[in-house]
Amino acid sequence: MSNEPVGVLVIGAGASGAAFAWSIADAGMSVLCLDQGPWMKQRDYPSNGLDWEERGMGDFSTSPNVRGLPADYPVNEEDSDISPLMFNAVGGSTILWAAHFPRLTPKDFRMKSEDGVGEDWPIDYETLEPYFALNDRMMGVSGLEGDPAYPYHEPPLPPLPLGKSGNTLASGFEKLGWHWWPSDSAILSQEYEGREACINLGPCITGCAHGAKASTDITYWPVAQRKGVRVRANCRVREITVREDGMADGVLYYDEVGRLQEQKAEIVVLACNGIGTPRLLLNSKSKRHPDGLANSSGRVGKNLMFHPYAMITGIFEEPLQSRRGPMGCSFWSHEFYQTDRSREFVRGYSFEAIRGLGPVQTALWGMIHGLIPWGEDHHRSFARLYDHTATLLGIAEDLPEETNTVTLDAELTDAHGIPAPKVTYRLSENSRNMLAHAVERAKEALTAAGAVETVVDPLMRAAGWHLMGTARMGRNSTTSVVNERGQAHDVKNLFVVDGSVFVSAGAVNPTSTIQAFALYVADSIKKNIETLFDDA
Amino acid sequence: MMDTPAALNDLDFMKALLDLVIPPSASGDLPGAGALGLSPAVAEALQADPLLGPPVEVGVQAVQEAALSQHAEGLAGMTPEAGAKVVEALLATHPLLIVGILRYLSPAYYQHARVLEGIGEPPRPPFPEGFDIEATDAELLEKLRARRRA
Repeated sequence: MSNEPVGVLVIGAGASGAAFAWSIADAGMSVLCLDQGPWMKQRDYPSNGLDWEERGMGDFSTSPNVRGLPADYPVNEEDSDISPLMFNAVGGSTILWAAHFPRLTPKDFRMKSEDGVGEDWPIDYETLEPYFALNDRMMGVSGLEGDPAYPYHEPPLPPLPLGKSGNTLASGFEKLGWHWWPSDSAILSQEYEGREACINLGPCITGCAHGAKASTDITYWPVAQRKGVRVRANCRVREITVREDGMADGVLYYDEVGRLQEQKAEIVVLACNGIGTPRLLLNSKSKRHPDGLANSSGRVGKNLMFHPYAMITGIFEEPLQSRRGPMGCSFWSHEFYQTDRSREFVRGYSFEAIRGLGPVQTALWGMIHGLIPWGEDHHRSFARLYDHTATLLGIAEDLPEETNTVTLDAELTDAHGIPAPKVTYRLSENSRNMLAHAVERAKEALTAAGAVETVVDPLMRAAGWHLMGTARMGRNSTTSVVNERGQAHDVKNLFVVDGSVFVSAGAVNPTSTIQAFALYVADSIKKNIETLFDDA
Repeated sequence: MMDTPAALNDLDFMKALLDLVIPPSASGDLPGAGALGLSPAVAEALQADPLLGPPVEVGVQAVQEAALSQHAEGLAGMTPEAGAKVVEALLATHPLLIVGILRYLSPAYYQHARVLEGIGEPPRPPFPEGFDIEATDAELLEKLRARRRA
């Protein structure tokens, strides 16, 4: 293994790192990506076995604290209302995601202008539009063109089938006259670029054994590698090093056998997600950067945003084929997305219609909610629920708050002795009111669709899929970490391309926007390479 | 004198206990959890769980002792109704007993091929065959197309 200096060093091979690396390879510089996790193999995914649901609670759990694999680092979540979720591998969390693929809406970029809260982004939807489209083609996105909630765009593939559960739920929204639209999904409805169409396995969030669901290890990385980008798996970065002049010099990392190595680079790019990125910046202290790298604003690790989720499940008399098909990708609704001053909250939420649970999850969910007893009545109660449920998720827009943070834990470390992140997060009153509203509206929709009973989880704890805001972008270097091109205000050859840069969260899954931003940053570097390190 | 095996590892007792928790269905389509021989897997999982394992083990031991005090053969010799009463009487003092057992029994039971067949599912993993699902309702799709943004 050679640690010869490289032009561009990308840390993290997930959604954003892969998109960025693929694009920046065209700049003619050598590109290397380090990831703390391994390459995954589709034959190892749980849906190859009968124990697919059980493994989703074990070695394929979305929680790093549950998995505890060598690639994982622990997260102290004791002071958080929501558990952070992620996966550490080449492909990152796209290995275990649902591939629900909405974009932020144009108004999400103008939160302060529209509603007087938070901040506006320094870029807008129109700036990212070409990158959204490019990313849709790279990932392979299925959807129905013309959703009135968005500017017109055409997904490259037709929408996935709603299935009986989706058709049933959609009929409820129709009766109420509420907006709904088949999800843009990073799952193939037809054969595409050598990958086969979805065959409705169901458990997308434990990895797609068929390869129909996009994860960057099978979308961006093969193409990036053909362009010459190198990926070094099982390598965990400890810190970013800096030169005398304050510019980034490279990284210190532990290789696959645990030896400390040094890798120098002209440009360092962070793509480690909204927890991993601030963790690494805060752990990169030096005489010149005593509070962590790129942190003169004090904003590194601040303004952590999740999407708080409420889960509202309807029980139906008819069987719904509900556990078959892509679990997280049926349709969305933006009916309550925008601010309505008559409500007790600003901003809004979306609904995501998802499919039903497998038999194991049905049994456990029914037990937790007191719906499936032990003993004589067990089978009758199970039969009433299994294949008879459909669920709406209320996805609330979290507002940025400086008290919601990622810091370094004083005691907890990973296997290499690197301080673990500590997440401090409390649900705001605004988010609480929003979720309560979502619960009531979801009950209406489910009832309109024919549900005979509804079951509510008012705040899902294990729902911290979306990690945002902890190295926010902005034009003012005293209130933000990076500029509109993802470039650190303090360190001109350091870039951030993951969800850390988000100024607001919107009320939809962020990956499409994260990847579009990563492509935009790569393009911006390519176009401005001659003046990249000049002072603004 | 032979030692009495710890309750979690007493196969006859555990078979009877698991058959109480998930009994055979009235129709006979679904076996009892004990009859499927799941107790070693459940016991192993509980013994590896630092949170649920200890309280469940204590609760299981209490059930075994209470059953033996009522019947020379313990739970295995009792009718399901009598056995259920023994368990119910101990739930107030051992509230995690059933929850803890079901945490590991449910996966073991509901991924078993015989159970999958009994609930109407093919006894195979999702991959590689996959599943067919219903197409999007054409009427719904037409309504959406009429609302499309140009």
